[in-house]
Amino acid sequence: MKKNYWNPYFGGVILGTMLFLTFLIASQGFGASGTFSRLTAQFLVDSDKSWLNNGYVGHYFKHSNNALLNWTVLETIGIFFGGFVSALLAGRFSIKPDKAEGYSTLKRFFWALVGGAIVAFSTRLTRGCTSGQGLDGMATFSVGAWIFMFSVFAAGLIMSPFFRRQWVDDAGKDK
Amino acid sequence: METLLLPLYKNGFLTPEANFFFAIVMGFVFGFVLERTGFTRSQHIADSFYFRNLAVPKIMGVTTITATTWFILFAYMGWIDLDALYTPATFIWPYLAGGLLFGLGMVMSGYCPGTAVAGLGTGKSDALVFLIGIFGGMYIYFVLYDKIEAFASSGSLGVYKLQDLFGGNQYTSYILTVALEVGIILFLMTLQKLTNKGEK
Repeated sequence: MKKNYWNPYFGGVILGTMLFLTFLIASQGFGASGTFSRLTAQFLVDSDKSWLNNGYVGHYFKHSNNALLNWTVLETIGIFFGGFVSALLAGRFSIKPDKAEGYSTLKRFFWALVGGAIVAFSTRLTRGCTSGQGLDGMATFSVGAWIFMFSVFAAGLIMSPFFRRQWVDDAGKDK
Repeated sequence: METLLLPLYKNGFLTPEANFFFAIVMGFVFGFVLERTGFTRSQHIADSFYFRNLAVPKIMGVTTITATTWFILFAYMGWIDLDALYTPATFIWPYLAGGLLFGLGMVMSGYCPGTAVAGLGTGKSDALVFLIGIFGGMYIYFVLYDKIEAFASSGSLGVYKLQDLFGGNQYTSYILTVALEVGIILFLMTLQKLTNKGEK
């Protein structure tokens, strides 16, 4: 039997306390996008050393020849296993895409792929994603995090009608 | 001024190896909680843009309020110097443009990098496709970096906190943060009621 998700306020108190503890111990907060930037950079450099001359890729290799020996990279490995174990215990592990019922899986994959590329590109401009920039920044009173979060939600709301069919079962029971 | 114990790593009370071990443990707990709160489902995340389910802004808001409450208590007790915590620097224009792009990518894909990693752990195939796209986006950024570099560092304010903008001290920032988060959640709940699409 599937369990219900946690109450969002309860979830927030747990997550906030964990974020606090992480800062207390590691002096930094959560992150995720940096891992994929580093993975991509490491892959490119391993396949062709001339990538070290790239202004962005190069900065990961100034003090080390391994871009993956990094706090956020290891934390991201933990995130994967945490999601896995929690889903197993809750009876929610299943291999399938998430979308509105009846929406084409191929179209869903197309938007996931393009959206992933857009999200990745933006995280380099914003020095982090909703974790490393949004949560960590808001928790440390940074003005930049608020500029980022307001922009994210504004664009998401403005563009949401174009993607409604992918997410909302208008023909379904809830209408 | 006496040396503080916290944050442990920055003050040298933790070896890099122990800190790395701790990274995996904390990541595990983070991924676990993301799954428990429904953050591993793209549809669940996208629902907040349609006011069907406000779990995402509620959790983010309460997370921020909780973390900052702990911080301000510890700072008040003199147990921690908040300036010692890693704080992302502020760059106005790239954060504005990058945030707008990020929002577009998020409503399109239903994920952000952290939730997609946890989502992959729960077996979501669209999370896997999203993460493949992530590599493509990083590659494009690296290739275009020469042309983007100037814009990416425009509007630089360094580490710039709410108290630097509005005056006051860290307590001002704390009160502003709590007020903003509570205001946003209440505002969204009102919108949800008005649009009458809420499922709670």
